[in-house]
Amino acid sequence: MIGAQLTGNLMQGLILGGIYGMATMGLSLIFGVLKVVNVGHGAFIMIGAFITLWIFTAFGLAPVIAIPVALIVGMAIGFVFFYLVMRRLIKAPELASLLATFAIGILLEEIAKLIFGSEFRGYNWAVGKIILPITVFPMSKIYAFIGSIAIALLLYIWFKKTRAGTAVRSVVEDSEGARVCGVNVGWVYALSFAIGIGLTVTSGVLLTMFIPVGINPYMGGGYTLKAFVIAVLGGLTSPYGAFFGGLIFGLIENGSYTLFALIPGVEAFAMTRFLSFLILLLILLIKPTGLLGAK
Amino acid sequence: MLKVNNLESGYGPMQVLWGASLEVKKGSITSLLGPNGVGKTTLLRTVFGSIEPWGGKITYGGEEITHLPTHKKVDLGLVLVPEGRHLFVGMSVHENLIMGAYLKKALEHIEESLKLVYSLFPILKARTNQRAGSLSGGEQQMLTIARALMTRPRLIMLDEPSQGLAPKLVSEVLETIKKMKSEMGLTILLVEQNVEASLNASDYVYIIHEGTIKAEGSSEKIKGSRDIREAYLGI
Repeated sequence: MIGAQLTGNLMQGLILGGIYGMATMGLSLIFGVLKVVNVGHGAFIMIGAFITLWIFTAFGLAPVIAIPVALIVGMAIGFVFFYLVMRRLIKAPELASLLATFAIGILLEEIAKLIFGSEFRGYNWAVGKIILPITVFPMSKIYAFIGSIAIALLLYIWFKKTRAGTAVRSVVEDSEGARVCGVNVGWVYALSFAIGIGLTVTSGVLLTMFIPVGINPYMGGGYTLKAFVIAVLGGLTSPYGAFFGGLIFGLIENGSYTLFALIPGVEAFAMTRFLSFLILLLILLIKPTGLLGAK
Repeated sequence: MLKVNNLESGYGPMQVLWGASLEVKKGSITSLLGPNGVGKTTLLRTVFGSIEPWGGKITYGGEEITHLPTHKKVDLGLVLVPEGRHLFVGMSVHENLIMGAYLKKALEHIEESLKLVYSLFPILKARTNQRAGSLSGGEQQMLTIARALMTRPRLIMLDEPSQGLAPKLVSEVLETIKKMKSEMGLTILLVEQNVEASLNASDYVYIIHEGTIKAEGSSEKIKGSRDIREAYLGI
């Protein structure tokens, strides 16, 4: 019985993990290129969630339509914040960029609160479900998972096959080396930040397709913490590492939830958070370059 | 071909260059000599644009390029082989060379350029699929120079190309630099720790100290001047 429940939850965890992975790729890309930790990460996820809600409730359009909208809006926001704020902070001490991204996160949350208020919102996109003996998958979750994989694959191809992608990879490896090859490093910084934010906002769409409730201005905080654990799992600078880190994290989170729930008197959800930080701590102690990191 | 006038620059609040001026003649090997920490690397990095100049003027081929961004300088044929190599260690030798031909102008001649660098450094051809990080120090240095040649430069600035290499390899690197001048018609600005080797390879020499040029002359003249050698070069 518990075996079936665990298997079912692990299947859910794999799907959620794919979305978690996609939701961390932007964080890793920005860290890899700019060496900036985006502490305001979760606020951008929140923007994606509200874009989905707005498209669904105001126009009655499928949340899938929100994916390209979120990508474009996210990239635009990314460019704006890059040229307004981040550009001046690349060579500044780390604390400056940490504080700046923290402030951007708070700013976005408060703007969202002004516009939407702070109550929890949700929507119901009923497009059928797949019923298995051990678990049930609403189609929206399946679409979100397919979307995550498609976006991760597209990013991979963009990195490997295009001139701009190659330029970004060269800056991740060695920015001075890229400069002497004639790469416009300033533009790579701007583009990577914009794509990183675009991916993060888009992941907000996919996350609400998986969990279409609890949309509110402060929903991002938990995702920021998860993204940090996933990014470390995946080796920090690699977006693909982050994707696989997300898959592992989703499995651990859902698997451990099932097992913790068996122990009487234990708050299973809180324990999954405890476990994820324990994992973060252990990885940082044993292999600080990340489980999937190269060096 | 390259003229530097009263160049000033530094890092953060620390000024390193205090009005350095020099000229690199077309088709020459010009050396910049001086003890450690007097501004040689800073001068090359400022001319290239990795560091923004604080003052002064840089002209190249008659055009002012003082504040031109680095990628536009590479496009004009002015390139730096940086100290510490800065290779893409996770990429293969071949991928590193392809990166050198990143700009459109260089990309159009990529086959030619590859043939040229592989004939200049046959060992790189043998290592073409190996990760750059797995090469020996000497091979990495050759790859750094080869990657710079892939940009199809006209003036190449080399910052300590023989750093950390065995004596036999040092002379090999300097032979290559001479070949780049005589066979490929390149103009070279060289910063080299090995004074003797560098004096032998160059046509004209500048002595830099405390951020300014203290002496200059043909390499014969510097070799012959005991005063200069004792005061600045310690030989």
